[in-house]
Amino acid sequence: MLFNSINFAIFLPIVFLLYWFVTKNNLKFQNILLLVASYYFYACWDFRFLFLLIFSTLLDYYSGIKIENSSSEKNRKFWFWLSIGINLGFLGVFKYYNFFVDSIKDVVFLFGHKIDLWTIKVILPVGISFYTFHGLSYVIDIYKKRIPVETNFINYATFVCYFPLLVAGPIERATHLLPQIKKKRTFNYAQAVDGLRQILWGLFKKIVIADNCAEYANLIFNNSDDYSGSTLIMGALFFTFQIYGDFSGYSDIALGTSRLFGMELLKNFNFPYFSRDIAEFWRRWHISLSSWFKDYLYIPLGGSVGGLKLKIRNTFIIFLVSGFWHGANWTFIVWGALNALYFLPLLLSNTNRNYMKIVAYDSNLPSFKELVSIIITFSLTVFAWIFFRANSLTHAITYIKDIFTSKLIALPEVRPTFVIVLVAIFILIEWIGRRNNYALEKMFTEKSVFVRWSFYFVLLFAIFIFSTKEQEFIYFQF
Amino acid sequence: MKKFLLRISLFVLVLFIVDKGFYYFLYKAPELEYDQRLEKVINGKINKDIIVLGSSRGAGNIIASQIEKETNLSSYNLSYIGSNVLFQEFILKSVLKFNKKPKKVILSIDNTYEFVFEKTLNFKFDKLYPLSKYNYINNELIDRKERSIISKVFCLGRLSKNSFILKKEEIPTKNPILPCGSMPFVEKSKDTKIEFLKDIKKYDSKKELPEKLKAFKNIQTICKENNIQLIFALPPNFNEFNTDFEKRFRKLMLPENKIIIYNRKNPIYKNQEYYFDALHLFKNGATVFTSEISAFINQNR
Repeated sequence: MLFNSINFAIFLPIVFLLYWFVTKNNLKFQNILLLVASYYFYACWDFRFLFLLIFSTLLDYYSGIKIENSSSEKNRKFWFWLSIGINLGFLGVFKYYNFFVDSIKDVVFLFGHKIDLWTIKVILPVGISFYTFHGLSYVIDIYKKRIPVETNFINYATFVCYFPLLVAGPIERATHLLPQIKKKRTFNYAQAVDGLRQILWGLFKKIVIADNCAEYANLIFNNSDDYSGSTLIMGALFFTFQIYGDFSGYSDIALGTSRLFGMELLKNFNFPYFSRDIAEFWRRWHISLSSWFKDYLYIPLGGSVGGLKLKIRNTFIIFLVSGFWHGANWTFIVWGALNALYFLPLLLSNTNRNYMKIVAYDSNLPSFKELVSIIITFSLTVFAWIFFRANSLTHAITYIKDIFTSKLIALPEVRPTFVIVLVAIFILIEWIGRRNNYALEKMFTEKSVFVRWSFYFVLLFAIFIFSTKEQEFIYFQF
Repeated sequence: MKKFLLRISLFVLVLFIVDKGFYYFLYKAPELEYDQRLEKVINGKINKDIIVLGSSRGAGNIIASQIEKETNLSSYNLSYIGSNVLFQEFILKSVLKFNKKPKKVILSIDNTYEFVFEKTLNFKFDKLYPLSKYNYINNELIDRKERSIISKVFCLGRLSKNSFILKKEEIPTKNPILPCGSMPFVEKSKDTKIEFLKDIKKYDSKKELPEKLKAFKNIQTICKENNIQLIFALPPNFNEFNTDFEKRFRKLMLPENKIIIYNRKNPIYKNQEYYFDALHLFKNGATVFTSEISAFINQNR
């Protein structure tokens, strides 16, 4: 079930009304309802993989209890590694097995030999990377004694499978979401209204910006041999806004939906395209994943303590793993490596924490220096996205080569005025709202109902009019 | 909670009312179209003995008014430029739903692209969008996942960005629509030079698309069930005739249906003067091909 589908538009009000009216604020019933709704939500995609999700939940739940209750360190370790091993094993089989097999075949072929290894034909269970990471963080936190074990299965299962974040995040932490699940929730008018506003903005980003940009990004990337350098740049720009509109739009809908049920999810995006350097970009893009890798990989590896060499090694590891997390393709690994390279000068000069506050926080416009920094960072990001979007490394390299070899300084052949105008309006709204949690959070909230509602109607009309075919979210494939 | 639900209900109500104002654009859209043939179909105004279906080759190569004159059977051409067999099936169903059933249907075949992927041949959604005010059309768009089910309630759901361009569509000078629905090419491009192609590729039936085969089968079934004579017309291309395709095509035909292939012995089909381009006849070529169809109909009454 997609957030931008009519099914979800029916599903959400039903669950909302049952949640607040039928359960009569009984926490136990509310959580059971959320769990059942979440399983239904997941089963709508493919009910067979629901069993995998339930198995993964049971495994981590049981492992958590065993780790907590084990008297010997050996037993604790056993249950810890069993859970980690099985979780990563599932991820490996469903997501990476064919990639490894094909890579081994290619390497052997390079040395003039051929081997026959089996590949498997299996579809990737939607959301597996996300719910596996939920489970992993929970088990690691218990093992490290950061949190107490959750003995109530309903509470734990709701944490793992909570439908707003089930298929594409944000990647939650037990320390943040579990206490909310266990706490009595009462309806909060302001929170619910804010949630609806965030859903509206998420839908606008997805349907109006991402889906319309996708049409032209796909056209250009799929026929890149036929286009001039300037058009290929347009293609990369369209994809840049497509992926942002798509994923941050999804996250906004997830956060807004959760607010309707009285729970706050982790913020996933914080106006990343206004970043002044790549370190700031990574503090603002897919925040829940970046912070997950920081806490569960970078810091255990030694983090930034222990010399320059170690720092560089660890930085490369988390960027490469982050790239690989996105998909079993060398393009994602190169994308990760490229970002690590971008990051390196900042790390070496110890300037990676220069920009913690949003740009032009106290003024309306950025300074010239800030503007140049934003443009440079944005250009680097656009360049890296080419690898992310390309079908293969060869495609990415040819694409980049073609940018510089054919008519770079010429009017692009593909230049849909309406999409360019929509993106310009979108950037303007994002800029105005950049100091808030999401662009629309405080926009016109002080104005009269007439002004406020008129603005919402305009957004809704745009959603209706500029909607294309129902399209999946990009991050569903991860 | 009460306040929340009240506000939401009020918001949806206001949205619903404002939305109805957009009906103006829905109402206006069909009038701005140059090609109003599909609207005539929906309004039950195409009650003819012979209906011609096809893509641009059907529209340009077969002149319905000439058939009418030569056979004394009223004829109308409902071929659409760039349409595929799935769209032709939809047109046939629409004709039967809203009009008197024809005696004969001539289906112009895109040899050799009829059943394989061809990027220039599609389901012509662009012909359906301007007619979204009709529930029949909107339901078709919903079925084909081009519209959300929400468009059953909200006018806005039936509109797209093009609905706001309140400008009448321009008349194509190369092939304007005749009153009989045909669109023969009457103006040649100055720099068009074509060469007669003798070496033709072998037809590969493995590349055929199941959905196109199914639509083709459906057209035959519909005609059979409605007792309509179905005639397949294979117009010329400016190249050698592909006999592989013909063999394959005959295998897919039901025995009761007829096929007319252009007269391969006629030298005009190898003369560039009779062509608009390699795939389409010019008006003089279309007149010759149409007369062959008329003769065929007269022989097979």
